[in-house]
Amino acid sequence: MNAFQLYFRLIQISLLSRMQYRADFIAGILGLLFWNVINIGLIGILVTQFTSLKDWTLWEVVFLYSLWILGYSVYGLFFSHTEALENYLIEGSFDQFLLRPASPLIQLLGREFQFNEIANVLIGLTGISLAYTRLDLHWDGWRWGFFIAAVVSGGMIVLAINLLVACTGFWTGRSRGTAFIVNQFYGLVHQYPVDIFGNAFRVIVTGLIPVAFMNYYPALVLLDKVNYASRGWVLSYMSPLVALLLVGIVSVVWRLGLNRYSSSGS
Amino acid sequence: MKLFWAFTRQAFYNTAVFRFEFWLRLISVYLLMYTIYWVWTTLYTQTPEAFGLSLQQMVTYGILGMALEIFLDVGPEWYVATQVRTGAIDTDLMKPLDFHVHMLARSAGEMMFSLGILALPSFVIGYFLFDLRLPEDLTTGLLFGISLVFSFFVFFHIGFLLGVLSVITLDIRSIAWAYYSMVSFFSGQIVPLWLFPDFLRKISEWLPFQAVYYIPMSIYIKRVIGSTALQAVGIQVFWAIVLALFARWAWTRVHTRLTVQGG
Repeated sequence: MNAFQLYFRLIQISLLSRMQYRADFIAGILGLLFWNVINIGLIGILVTQFTSLKDWTLWEVVFLYSLWILGYSVYGLFFSHTEALENYLIEGSFDQFLLRPASPLIQLLGREFQFNEIANVLIGLTGISLAYTRLDLHWDGWRWGFFIAAVVSGGMIVLAINLLVACTGFWTGRSRGTAFIVNQFYGLVHQYPVDIFGNAFRVIVTGLIPVAFMNYYPALVLLDKVNYASRGWVLSYMSPLVALLLVGIVSVVWRLGLNRYSSSGS
Repeated sequence: MKLFWAFTRQAFYNTAVFRFEFWLRLISVYLLMYTIYWVWTTLYTQTPEAFGLSLQQMVTYGILGMALEIFLDVGPEWYVATQVRTGAIDTDLMKPLDFHVHMLARSAGEMMFSLGILALPSFVIGYFLFDLRLPEDLTTGLLFGISLVFSFFVFFHIGFLLGVLSVITLDIRSIAWAYYSMVSFFSGQIVPLWLFPDFLRKISEWLPFQAVYYIPMSIYIKRVIGSTALQAVGIQVFWAIVLALFARWAWTRVHTRLTVQGG
């Protein structure tokens, strides 16, 4: 069995166990849908009352929101068990992944398939299609390709950042605090165009926690908002590169972490 | 009453353990204030006339919403839900104090702890970094204080009712997202209700959530003054009474069908 087959087999098992709690499962999807609608509603009220947020109109903001959530749902569906790493490390139950003759990372990620995230996929697709028609966009083949690349990169960026944060647990034992702060940045970039904030914020979400590459920068390209006169225009095209770079970094850190790991169990 | 204080004090000590969380919450408050500050400033410089009040009032409203959350939102629903899920609720029922009152005491303790430890630094951050203004005069400040007491009371009971619901559904984690987004939307915590489109404002005026953030915050920035402000506090009192009675009734109903899991 190769890694992919193993991963999907694990996912299948976790899905079966999740389906045992059907009511909770449905409530989860509905809850997430509702949460998204309210979120868009809040920012929607602001943008319609004031016609725009800086130079972002209502449907452009919806586009930003949807692009982010699509990227995130790639992570959420397949890789969200990353966040559980801390518990395994603290309890010492991480050992189980090392005993079996398969990649510990595949085993960890395969633990959970977050089916709730289907709600985010739905919201994302609906948002993008509505924005696409309302903004009267006409993408050529290249743009469509870039759009798909942006969504996949988005998923990879979240995976890499969250796994990096989780990996700090190999050294410090705890990673929940950092994860909490990183999540705050996700929320901000998710809902608001980065350029309404100050420069410090832009530097953080570009260089330090590069979430702006999930929606803000690719959206500039996809919505024809790139300002080629500014110095940083090239950043708008960099999402796939940033994703690759981050995945490269995290795979090294993960390996270092594994070497460093010594069980806390008894 | 002495018993009530004993439980309140206990909750206070329990919360004091989490020093790490203290810094996390402060950083997060800072970030939230930063966001809201920039959103309002951007919108205001764009179309100042659309607000009907000054930028300072608007920013104060926004920052205040973040500062209040840190002590108002004690989340009694999580305590009840966790106790129900783990089966530990039987120890709560054995305590020599009515469960509803026990929960109120507990939440009051947590609220006072956060008020003392977290709210003060948040206000300092808001005041020095984001232009949070103090209430203009003593009456406003006083009325705001009274209004806050009812805010807490209303918010506690909404959370308690959600906790009671967990006795039936056995878990609230799935609906919690929907619940929290609904509270922050209809309470006017982030976007004040007067900016809502008409039909949404009508809906929110019929819901108890406005009594949590919107009313005290509008009083604070003097968006509502004089008799209108008193009327607004009246609405809070109304909801506090209705929700308390409803919570009592719901709890006695649910108490009899409580299943304790585990052992």
